[in-house]
Amino acid sequence: MPRLQAAAILAGVAGIAVSIYLTAVHYAGFVPACPVSGVINCEAVLSSPYAVIAGTSIPTSAAGIVWFAISVVLWARPRRNLLLAWSLLGLLTVVYLLFIEIVLVGAICLWCTAAHLLVVVLVLIAVGRR
Amino acid sequence: MSARRPRPVRKPVARTPVWVAPAAIVAGLAVLVAAFFLIRWYVTPLPPPPLSSGSNAAVVSSITSLPASEFDAVGPGTANNLIKPITGAALKGPNGKPEVFYYGAEFCPYCATQRWPLVIALSRFGTFSGLQTTSSSSSDVFPNTPTLTFRNATYSSQYLDLRAVETTDRDRNPLQSPSASEQQLVNSYDPGGTIPFIDIANRYAISGAMYSPDTVGGMSWQAVADALKDPNSTQARAIIGSANLITAAICKATGDQPGTVCGGTTIQDLEKKLG
Repeated sequence: MPRLQAAAILAGVAGIAVSIYLTAVHYAGFVPACPVSGVINCEAVLSSPYAVIAGTSIPTSAAGIVWFAISVVLWARPRRNLLLAWSLLGLLTVVYLLFIEIVLVGAICLWCTAAHLLVVVLVLIAVGRR
Repeated sequence: MSARRPRPVRKPVARTPVWVAPAAIVAGLAVLVAAFFLIRWYVTPLPPPPLSSGSNAAVVSSITSLPASEFDAVGPGTANNLIKPITGAALKGPNGKPEVFYYGAEFCPYCATQRWPLVIALSRFGTFSGLQTTSSSSSDVFPNTPTLTFRNATYSSQYLDLRAVETTDRDRNPLQSPSASEQQLVNSYDPGGTIPFIDIANRYAISGAMYSPDTVGGMSWQAVADALKDPNSTQARAIIGSANLITAAICKATGDQPGTVCGGTTIQDLEKKLG
């Protein structure tokens, strides 16, 4: 297996783990392990109305589990166009979530940022791969 | 015999280096994040400057010494009656008096809203010291809602005790923590975790604010205090109406003591509505 493909699958699995943690925290009603300092505040983000998919009580992180899981499946047998399209969807979602965090909520959730970075890593690998 | 002409060599086409597209994406993301922070900075209102100690005292004095006629003129006003009866062992303070437990945070605009009527109601049963004016977070909904904070306040009354927990400051930095038994009250009677949460001696609980933060949005503390002197003002009908309902719930917990507060027709009528 090429190294980039292995790295992508690893990033996808890490993304699933982070998303599962955030989803579990949501349903358990716990405050995530996260420092509170200035603009860094996981609780502010995760307790905001934007932390769930609009019109439902499903946390946004549940959609993250699905996106990363499909990414892992796609990277197991990579097809360039499909990967690019899926990555583009992930990237647009990350941009939208960043807009919500920074502009609407005014706080950054470190766990969410970890998931966003893993999406960006997958996008970069998909775009940079010949 | 002619010599074979050499095949034209195709000019090599320069391919875009592999790093260009990823680098463009990273650069684009960086620009977007910077733009988002710029927008946030532009739309965030500045917090109001703090009041001088004299002005602070004037506001506190004004709202904690409203005449009984003002309360009677407003009645329930436009308050949303969120007071729910609860059951459990009577909540008592260290001296055995009925206890009012408040759980909120300084950043929270709904807590900012609810503190006005709570302070007014409690002032009818005792006296505060150390109440300070502040405002809710500049970066949350209903930014900079004017209010008072219980952070350094002490309360003395011969009828009841007050225990107030402000969990964070207006910038969401941790401030005060509930005890284990207080956390248990929150878990039992406010399972959704809504703040503000008020437990009146384990007889009544209030989760949330009894009127909209819009009611005092954009006003100075003194302007709110002045508006409360007019029973027909929007602020008086919301804040004093809420204070009357809270007063009625406290009267139920104190056995209608003192009679000067609890014995009036207004409070007696509201007590019947509480159930």
